[in-house]
Amino acid sequence: MSATHSVEAGEQSTPSSGGTPTARQPVSTGPLLRPHAPSFAVVVVLQVIGAVAGLAPLFAVIEVGRALLSPGPIDSNRVWTAVILGAIGLFVRLVFTGASSGLGHILDGKVQLSLRRELARSLGQAPIGWLSRRRSGELAKVVGDDVAAVHPFIAHAPGELVSAFVVPLVSLVYLLTIDWRLTLITLIPVVLAIAHVPLLMTPARNRAQEDFDAAMGRIATSVVEFVQGIAVVKAFGGSERAHRKFLTAADDFVDIFTRWVRGVSAVAAGMQLALSPPFVLLVVLIGGTVRITSGDMAPVDLLPFLLLGLGLTAPVAALGHGFDDMQAAGRAVSRIREVLGVGTLPQSARPASPQDNRVELSDVRFSYDDDGPEVLRGIDLVLEPGTLTAVVGPSGSGKSTLVQLLPRFFDPTDGAVRLGGVDLRDVDTRELYRRVSFVLQDVRLLRASVADNIALAVPHATPEEVTRAAQLAHIHDRILALPRGYDTVIGEEVKLSGGEAQRIAIARALAADTPVLVLDEATAFADPQTDQAVRQTLATLRDRTVLVIAHRLETVADADLVVMLDEGRVVEQGRPNDLLAQDGRFAAFWRTQQSAVADDSEARGQVLQGDLSR
Amino acid sequence: MIRMLLRVLGDEYARPMRRTVALMTVTAVLEGLLYALLVPVLRALFGSTPSDAWPWLIAFAVGVAVYAVLRYTSDLSGMRVGTTMLRGMYHGLGEHLARLPIGWYNAARVGEVSVMASRGLLAAMGVSAHLLGPFISACVTPLTIVAVITVFNWQLGLAALVAAPLVVLTQMWTARLMAVNDADNAARNNEASARVIEYLQAQPVLRAGGRSGERFSLLDDALQGVEQASRRQTMSVLPGAVGLTLIVQAVFTAVLVLGTYLALGGDIGAAEVLAILVLAARSADPLLSLSDIGGKLRTARAELDRLDRVLRTEPLPEAAQPVRPERFDLEFDGVTFRHGDRAVFDGVSLSVPQGQRLAVVGPSGSGKSTLLQLIARFYDVDAGAVRVGDVDVRQIDPAVLMSQIAIVFQDVYLFDGTIEENVRLGRPDASEAEVRAAATAARLDEVVERLPGGWSANVGEGGASLSGGERQRVSIARALLKDAPIVLLDEVTSALDPVNEAAVHDGIERLMAGRTVVMVAHRMRTVQRADRVVFIDDGKFVEQGSHDELLRRGGRYADFWSLSMVPGVSE
Repeated sequence: MSATHSVEAGEQSTPSSGGTPTARQPVSTGPLLRPHAPSFAVVVVLQVIGAVAGLAPLFAVIEVGRALLSPGPIDSNRVWTAVILGAIGLFVRLVFTGASSGLGHILDGKVQLSLRRELARSLGQAPIGWLSRRRSGELAKVVGDDVAAVHPFIAHAPGELVSAFVVPLVSLVYLLTIDWRLTLITLIPVVLAIAHVPLLMTPARNRAQEDFDAAMGRIATSVVEFVQGIAVVKAFGGSERAHRKFLTAADDFVDIFTRWVRGVSAVAAGMQLALSPPFVLLVVLIGGTVRITSGDMAPVDLLPFLLLGLGLTAPVAALGHGFDDMQAAGRAVSRIREVLGVGTLPQSARPASPQDNRVELSDVRFSYDDDGPEVLRGIDLVLEPGTLTAVVGPSGSGKSTLVQLLPRFFDPTDGAVRLGGVDLRDVDTRELYRRVSFVLQDVRLLRASVADNIALAVPHATPEEVTRAAQLAHIHDRILALPRGYDTVIGEEVKLSGGEAQRIAIARALAADTPVLVLDEATAFADPQTDQAVRQTLATLRDRTVLVIAHRLETVADADLVVMLDEGRVVEQGRPNDLLAQDGRFAAFWRTQQSAVADDSEARGQVLQGDLSR
Repeated sequence: MIRMLLRVLGDEYARPMRRTVALMTVTAVLEGLLYALLVPVLRALFGSTPSDAWPWLIAFAVGVAVYAVLRYTSDLSGMRVGTTMLRGMYHGLGEHLARLPIGWYNAARVGEVSVMASRGLLAAMGVSAHLLGPFISACVTPLTIVAVITVFNWQLGLAALVAAPLVVLTQMWTARLMAVNDADNAARNNEASARVIEYLQAQPVLRAGGRSGERFSLLDDALQGVEQASRRQTMSVLPGAVGLTLIVQAVFTAVLVLGTYLALGGDIGAAEVLAILVLAARSADPLLSLSDIGGKLRTARAELDRLDRVLRTEPLPEAAQPVRPERFDLEFDGVTFRHGDRAVFDGVSLSVPQGQRLAVVGPSGSGKSTLLQLIARFYDVDAGAVRVGDVDVRQIDPAVLMSQIAIVFQDVYLFDGTIEENVRLGRPDASEAEVRAAATAARLDEVVERLPGGWSANVGEGGASLSGGERQRVSIARALLKDAPIVLLDEVTSALDPVNEAAVHDGIERLMAGRTVVMVAHRMRTVQRADRVVFIDDGKFVEQGSHDELLRRGGRYADFWSLSMVPGVSE
């Protein structure tokens, strides 16, 4: 497998030394949250006040009980005071928890926005090489789903967790002052429930969790294969196979899941039972009856236990309840941190300005992996201003990699690429892109107006400049035919074909009007118009430094310099005619190409005759 | 909610589901009834002979034991139904996806289906395993408690009962508010995630324009949109949640006040009123948790909705009495085909005699690939008919139709497996020698020789470890092995460099020999060798005839032809 292919496919494992980001270690999300700390504090305080105030009506019931059960005449003032205080407590709880919850969610939205912005900033500076090896879907999932998964962390955890501990604590202290023995008895269900927890955290359980994640991953992969390959699946009756793979993955997952659930569910159900209100009440009532019948406790003192005892189970319930969410949030946060930790391509501390537009590669070596095979093995090459250099070579010879070094998608592993005498690593990024533009195989248009797409690199371009670039790229007429001309939004109002998209990309490069242009002529999806646009572009750019991966013999013949690449080395370079005369590798290559397109030339002869006869 | 769950599940799982729901309801009622025993227990304890409480307590203990058994059984049953359902839903989804027309699949579907297969199905399962029990108990137990209270004191019971309709109303109201914002929220999220993908994929270009992060306003606007939508949602849900709390608390306060008033007036015993207040407090908690459970149920419901929508998408209809074509000529008879509201073809006709080659030529976006897809019945026509051997493709068993057609696509998709497996897909029962012969004919043997691992080299997801040309050779070998009488070629060589193109062409020539061929092409050499050419523009068959005829006619095709032959640089 040649390395070029693997880049084209855009998938390879670890970042390389060439594109290695400056190692910013996994970034903590702490600094991002710090500005929000006061708001967090407010959320927590409001929640705690609200939750504690929620105890007031229970205390009111207790007071009423004491008054009703006390011997002698009932102090009705005391009773009504208690009732009113209880009602006030409820109102306070309503207002404070409502405010806390609302604030918490708004805060959550803000935190998510700043996390996403930070992620976008980080991704916008990550080495292109790093990006090209990640699936954009996966990265988009980090910015979208993973940030959203932080929600319980931010909107619920601070308030709810704190109050889940503070409220029982207050109750516990109160109950202890009444009867410490019954308090201990009341805690029996909690102890029973906590006793179940170790059963949920055995190594076997953890392994099951990992199996679970892995099985889920297999489902995702088989779904992607199922959907992306659906046309092939249907056309070749392979539906059995892909289908079976999906079902096997699904069955596998369900088996693992069932096993996991079976292991957990008995324990979880037992825990739920221990915490269930009837069981807690039973324990309290039995304990209370024993204490009362033995005469150690006043009957009325049972009341607080009946009312508050249930609340003691809240922390355990909260732990069990939010546990899965929190674990998921934790995994999401670690993925977010990984992306935030991706460094940028090293930027020079003292950027230098290139003197002219001469490009020089000296002893450039490159490999995608530290220990992987070298794709470029010592390239020496000079691109003079005002010349067209054509790179040719068999597939896998390193052509695509070579041209990607100029816009600095990667840095060479060894050696240097210089622009106007300055190492690219010392050129300011903005300055670099003011000088180098590119049209590569993989054309990306934005869902924005045609004009915006063309003017992408020169945001302040005039409409005239945009139109001129479009004309040069042979796409002007097509644009005028669109529903709203240059204001038509690509991808929404119109779907452009591959060839049209490519011409927009060419127009974009022409609008940028840079002295150096890198072009991959492998015109995938091309149609005759695009072919012509490419050739005409080359013809109009005679004063630039142009590097092109050439596939058309015309381009090669017209080049000032032809560079023949094979297995990462320059095997021949020189003027096309000189190289042909040498009868070496290039000449042999030229002949195979010629035979490949011989019929095209035949055909051209015919059409010329046809023209003449008309 | 449960009705939709049952529909998504199908009848098979409906019965255990119903049994679980019944079990959970019985458990919740029993819980409520158990609390009734609190009244005699407290009456005894607060009275002069506390030990009278023991018989009642024993009854309570027995009740709790029964409750424990029921609760445990229903919890486990919920989880079991959940996992059984999960398996059923995976199979249902898998079968359904395999039957959906290819036209349904587009770029956005990968994400949609994979989200569905992971989060969606788990959410659906979670309804039964985790949400249903708490939801039923939060509704049924307080109602039972209210009934119990009413038995002891009708005034207090009535006061508590006021809560019921109000709670139902707020829940419905919240659900409506949320539904409105849910749609908006989902749209904002989709928009943002599309913008993120665009932002990532267009990085090189964006950097050239000096736009990153917040300076790329398209993305930043979308991210802000998400925040605003989530803020709006919070604001819209808050009144509901606060309203629910308010109602529950107000009713509790009312019961407290009324109970106190009655007790002070001596209309009700202290033990009774206190027991009732304890019960009232007991039913407030589950009611308050309703807003939380409700929110989760609504989220799960949204996932179920999406699943339901996919499951209800109709696959292409299959003929009741399929006809087997005897010949392999092709015919378009007054075909109209719409994509969305745009007519791709409007009443077009053409025919290809068996064993002949038709080249389809035209500018990009004119409908060339669609023409091939209609032959393979990736879509059904809106009017007219596509026929193979005089039989409407809709009358042919889809499996039979597919067995008669070999397609070579422009974008080759290979399955993650070995080269051999991918070739063999064409005809799984082919002999070793036949596979090798097909590979040699497609000049795939050269590729195999170069690869470490040879025939058993893994091609990676989607064929990622092979170059475009190499993948194309695999797909041609696959088509050769299939040996079908009809061959469809979609711009097979457009993405290739000349060397690969030459190799691929040799394979294609062998593939086309003696078969009915329809090919979309722009390399004129290929076109020239076709028996007939059709020039398509904007969904119309502008010109039809042999290459020479069309050239002589000097129309659109001739223009196109000469344009493609202009040596541009020398101009």
